[in-house]
Amino acid sequence: MSKAYTTFKIHPGIGFARLGNTEDDFYLCPEQLGELPIACNELGQEKVDANGNLVRVSQFKDSNDLSKIKKQAARFKIFAYSDKEDEVGEEIKIGGTYDFIYETAVTAPTIVKGKVTDIDWTVHLANKKASWYEFQETNGMHGYEPSHPLRNPEVTQPDLRRQLIIDPGPLTVSLKHSRGEFAKFGTDSKKRDTSKFQKVSYPQTFPPSDIKPNPIDTLGSLIVNEQDKHCRLIVLGGNGNSGSTKTPVISNFVNNNGWFDDISDGPVTATIQFSFKQKQYDGKKEKMVTINSSMDVQVPAWVVVGYPRYAPQMQDMITMDEKMYDLFVRKFAYDPQVFGVAPYDKASNSPQTEAEWETWRNDADYNPDYYPKFYKEIWTMLHRPDSYRYSYDFDYFAGSDPHNRGTGGNLDENALSQVPKNGEDPYFRMRQFIYMIMRQTDERNDYVVTNDDWPTNAKPRLMPMLCGNNPLSNVSPDKFLSMTETQLFFLKQWMKGKFVNECEEWNDGDKNCKNPWANPPTTGVGIDRGVLSNILGGAFCPGGEISWIVNNPAIYSEPYRIKHATYLAGALSIPKPIADIDGSNAPNLAEGMEPGDMTKFIGIPWQADFHECTTQDLDVTYRGWNNIYLDSDGDPAQQDIAYDIPWWPAHRPIVVSEGPNSPQVYWASGIPANNAGDLQMVEAWKDLGFLLATGEGIHKAFYQQERNNDALGDPVTPGDRVLGQSIGKSTQETNNN
Amino acid sequence: MSARKKRVSLYDQVKNTLNEIQGSTVPSYQGLHAFWLDPEVFLNASLYGQRLIAPDPNESSGSGSHGATSNGGSCCGGGAKPAADSANDENPVTNPAVAAVMQPPTETFIGDCWPSGGSGGGSGGGGSTNQRSAASAIIIGLKGQYPFDGSIFPPLLWDTDKKATTQQIELIAGWIDAGCPLTIAEEDDAHSGAKSLVEVRNDMLALAHGEKLHKASDAKTNHTTKKSKALHIRKEISNLTPEELKTYRDALSCMYTYNDFWQDERSFDFWARIHTNSCQHGWEQFGPWHRLYLYFFEQKLQDYDDSITIPYWSWSEYADANKTTFNNTQYDLGVLPDAVGCFLTAEGLITLKEAKGANGKSLYSASQISKLESIQKKGTIYNSGLRFLKAAGIPYEIINNNGEAAWAEKVRTVYNVLRKDNALWFPNRWPGAMGNPTTYPTKADIKNLLSLETWSDFGGGPSYDHHFGSLEKVHNGMHNFSGGTNPNYPANNKKWEKIYADLGLTPDMQSQENPQYGWMTDNRVTAFDPLFWSHHSNVDRIWAKWQELHNGQPEELNGVLAPWSMTVGDAMSIKKLGYKYVRHYVHHQVSTDFGLVKFNSEKIKVSKSTLEHHKKLEIKIHRVQRGNLPNASIRVFLNDPNANIDTPTQGNEHFVEEVSLFHGSCYGGPGHCNLPLDKTRLNDHRNIHHHEPRNYIIDATKTAQKLLNDGAKDLTVQLVTVGIHGKPIDNAVFIEGVSLNFLD
Repeated sequence: MSKAYTTFKIHPGIGFARLGNTEDDFYLCPEQLGELPIACNELGQEKVDANGNLVRVSQFKDSNDLSKIKKQAARFKIFAYSDKEDEVGEEIKIGGTYDFIYETAVTAPTIVKGKVTDIDWTVHLANKKASWYEFQETNGMHGYEPSHPLRNPEVTQPDLRRQLIIDPGPLTVSLKHSRGEFAKFGTDSKKRDTSKFQKVSYPQTFPPSDIKPNPIDTLGSLIVNEQDKHCRLIVLGGNGNSGSTKTPVISNFVNNNGWFDDISDGPVTATIQFSFKQKQYDGKKEKMVTINSSMDVQVPAWVVVGYPRYAPQMQDMITMDEKMYDLFVRKFAYDPQVFGVAPYDKASNSPQTEAEWETWRNDADYNPDYYPKFYKEIWTMLHRPDSYRYSYDFDYFAGSDPHNRGTGGNLDENALSQVPKNGEDPYFRMRQFIYMIMRQTDERNDYVVTNDDWPTNAKPRLMPMLCGNNPLSNVSPDKFLSMTETQLFFLKQWMKGKFVNECEEWNDGDKNCKNPWANPPTTGVGIDRGVLSNILGGAFCPGGEISWIVNNPAIYSEPYRIKHATYLAGALSIPKPIADIDGSNAPNLAEGMEPGDMTKFIGIPWQADFHECTTQDLDVTYRGWNNIYLDSDGDPAQQDIAYDIPWWPAHRPIVVSEGPNSPQVYWASGIPANNAGDLQMVEAWKDLGFLLATGEGIHKAFYQQERNNDALGDPVTPGDRVLGQSIGKSTQETNNN
Repeated sequence: MSARKKRVSLYDQVKNTLNEIQGSTVPSYQGLHAFWLDPEVFLNASLYGQRLIAPDPNESSGSGSHGATSNGGSCCGGGAKPAADSANDENPVTNPAVAAVMQPPTETFIGDCWPSGGSGGGSGGGGSTNQRSAASAIIIGLKGQYPFDGSIFPPLLWDTDKKATTQQIELIAGWIDAGCPLTIAEEDDAHSGAKSLVEVRNDMLALAHGEKLHKASDAKTNHTTKKSKALHIRKEISNLTPEELKTYRDALSCMYTYNDFWQDERSFDFWARIHTNSCQHGWEQFGPWHRLYLYFFEQKLQDYDDSITIPYWSWSEYADANKTTFNNTQYDLGVLPDAVGCFLTAEGLITLKEAKGANGKSLYSASQISKLESIQKKGTIYNSGLRFLKAAGIPYEIINNNGEAAWAEKVRTVYNVLRKDNALWFPNRWPGAMGNPTTYPTKADIKNLLSLETWSDFGGGPSYDHHFGSLEKVHNGMHNFSGGTNPNYPANNKKWEKIYADLGLTPDMQSQENPQYGWMTDNRVTAFDPLFWSHHSNVDRIWAKWQELHNGQPEELNGVLAPWSMTVGDAMSIKKLGYKYVRHYVHHQVSTDFGLVKFNSEKIKVSKSTLEHHKKLEIKIHRVQRGNLPNASIRVFLNDPNANIDTPTQGNEHFVEEVSLFHGSCYGGPGHCNLPLDKTRLNDHRNIHHHEPRNYIIDATKTAQKLLNDGAKDLTVQLVTVGIHGKPIDNAVFIEGVSLNFLD
């Protein structure tokens, strides 16, 4: 077999769908940083305008009903790669010819030129939240103590514990069997199912049908469509239903016993059906016979369902793409020119064996001669905080604008983009100032600049001034967010003047040079990363769509790919202490992930945590402690509090406005910031407004639209009090204790 | 008539090229803009930390290595810091024992030491890396190599759709390597030295009149032969210059690095295995097969460096030293040429001093280190590794590695260093007696061999009447002598029977690291010992010499010599194969700018041994060109510095020969009388060109022998030009060189 067969990969490596409560109206996941979702028809075929450009969605709700949020579908494509050097690939086509491996029970594998006839897509969604451990901030990041409390702790019998998993079973769909429903057998939605192996029964587990307020009888559905000869998979998530087996009460931001929601995740695999002609001999007569066969796509994918993205174009301070990129750069030799061993080229940084990897991981470091690109690697971070003034009011009292991007501002783009030229570097001090106030990874428990050399007594606050992975408990505190190590390295190079302004070099004259993500991605990796760039990349307490598990290299089979575990149908793993009772399957990261394993850490129901993640008051008295109890021993120490530190201004808006001349209002007006509000959010999430961007560059503004005032009442301006509600403040801290 | 184009300076061509690639839009280039237009900027500036033109290596800190020839394995062993040092630190037991023999025991190899024509397919040359252009960002960037491969920067130039062609890149690289001359005048200056033209002219005149002495060329022999369009020369191994010896060793070291790649022709073991698989012995194809075997191996070596030929090991030269070693019952006493022995360099000494055992302590004791220091200081060369160990007070120890005998770490570490320092040394070699006294071939033996009249006696019989020829029989003995017997093998040594028993080892004659006999003795593995090649070079030389004296040849000239598609007949002439044997070669380059009146050499630097042992001395006058019309003669003298046109030739023991030139006038169109072009076209089968300069070979053996017998300690050569009219003439004879060829 001298000739290579084609490698097939599903893209994106990790796709993201989002909950919604409309019937069939949905749109496709955006594949570019800070870009709107893609409009599509009811089959999920993308819409293209007369110029061939993608049509974008700018209405996120049913046009007639502001209490109906459209779902976001995850869309998957299969790319063919001709050999190892092929890093670009090409999306496969029905009728296209590729080199397949053909193998029967009696013949050795051969390579044949096969024509694609159809694709079998298989997806298995599940929700494991109720069966999992309690989320306790950083505790559990590196395994759970045997005594770590479980959610629903009274369920200790393994079979009953498994009943807490929502597991509708896997579905296989194709062009011929194009619709699948992750619904309970016997429900109306299950009747729409035309998937491939309907007759095969599966031991489904769903929550009791009487949970309140909203029952869960589906986790979503699948559609296969064909567009321009490309066969694609559409994955739709749940309806946003959450309910409790008990009288519905929310008592905690992430752990609420008796509750279920219809978030989910799971593996996406595919098998390509192909046919080819082969000479056969019938007696002495030669004849051509068409043979049908199939081959599995070698590199499969994963799908995660998250909650709605209410500000789709607003970029998180750290995106999931950036979070994962940092990990892959440091642990997987993903970009050796950034991080590797000298001379930092690919050839010197391609470890193969375990021993080579170990050596590499020991020796590799950041390349001191790496030159980050200003717009791609620096400005993309620095311009973000300024946009948060449309989702959060930085300083209620002073109204100052610390992130000003205009002339004279701290983040003056013109000044910061100037590379040293001919020995002149007039903006070095500005860059140095910004770099010095960037929080380093070892300053995550520091509020202000710790550098003793800082020239004045008034030490500036470290940036980003956002909550970290654990500002709540005393186990492994991690109070504030820092940019990733790789981002900080880029900033350091930039501070030193080692950077390139690509707009004045090779991209000179290109109108998109300031936005490297302006055009839809054409490569598989481009799609992988584009999709992730709209997902929250921190902090993880527990996070937005997925949690700190993304920091663990063990869960990946390769960069941007979740490792698939093999698992028994109907016997997904449960926490080890329970599994050990009868030898059931316990989680095994080394083996890979199962359906439901990516989202099981997130709060249950998701609405509770989502509602509470606004701002936080952080105790910064001692680096190692989030909670101190001075009263208990009469300690006269002076307690220092950092007030109103936001969580994720781009993922969970706090203060918004409806237009350039409208006042700022609370985004969640009408839903109080307490446990009662959390419960209200279980229904009210669908009534909240979306933020849409207008303008470009420094003039880009985000304004609220589509808020259902009929349900929530008119929005409230900060400072106003409505029926005694304090709307802007989180109560997470009190919940936790 | 001759409308010659105006010459454009290289720098102007470079500027035009870059202007053309860039087009009208010039990006910032970090504020340098069109940097190539300002030489001050181009030569000194960096673009995002990348120096556009690498600093001139001659101007910066004289690191000294620049004088070394720039072709060949410049990167071998240098440059890349071995990232996998750990390979050396590993416990030797975990290494397969064979690795130490079959693979280079040098540091783990990173990168490619073999020169090539580049990676092909447009990305442009790999090749030499110590050129200034190769270190210059403008060249790296135009070629699109890291970091200009898109990983950190896109390829140069930026913001243009045009890509530089290979020729354009070559032009700019050539300009950089020529020292970045900015004007035509500077380009021309680069060729002349520091001396003024007048001085140079006066020197040349003095040389052409014999008033100054011609120095011998210090270039490698096969560089001078190439220049004078002569055959390659295989020299006696002890007569290689240090530089020639180093190149040969470097080539072998480089070949060892590819040994993991079984099918790679650059791998040394690839060639050694050909002997294992295909060698011909015991009949008339013995000579022809091995002649081609060496020819093809030598061609491969010449890909590495075209000056390399396989030096021969003239056994009989070393007969005196081996009077008591071969004809003896004691093992490991034999004497081989120094070139293949083992010795310790200062660098090797440091490695051994720093070597740590498994316990983290120094591997060698203080007294061993002190002995090693003394060995290194004295520069002693040992004929076997075992004798080296003994001198260093390091006991030869074996361990049991999964049932195989393997060197203990102390031994392996020393052997690794010795092999690194001399690629011609080989560990499984204990030259000397086999325990069974036989004779070592003396000069008389070789003379007898050469006096055999028939091919059958000398070279063996055909397949239908096969028998060994005498040459092969002598050759067999020398295989055994050079491989020798391992004194530390159980069957050879009672003490070692016990050691093996204690270690639980079963003696294995074919053990990789402790065999019963040296590998030279075993035709299965003999070619893995690099001495093999010089041994066979000598066999081939004796045959070539016999061919000069006799007409005999193999019965079956059509026999094919597998694995090559050449026949016995193709192997009949070493000249056709491009080489000859010269024990020692001394070349003098002569300028053709002035007519030769008299040539007067300095004292010929040649070893005493060569003066004593050579059989023949030929003086070759290279590429003689004649002025138009006047015919002339050249008189050749030895050791007569004052020879002139009046020096008598009759009865003068210094006089060698007078050669008369014969030609007429040259007449034709303009340029007709010029020298012909070099014959480079593969399919040019025309005869030698009329105006191709011719060579003269003069046999000076008798004259030289007489002078030496009369007590002369040195030789000098004089040529005196005499016009056809018997008077001095200064425009009749132009020559390119004079060489002395000492033949065995």
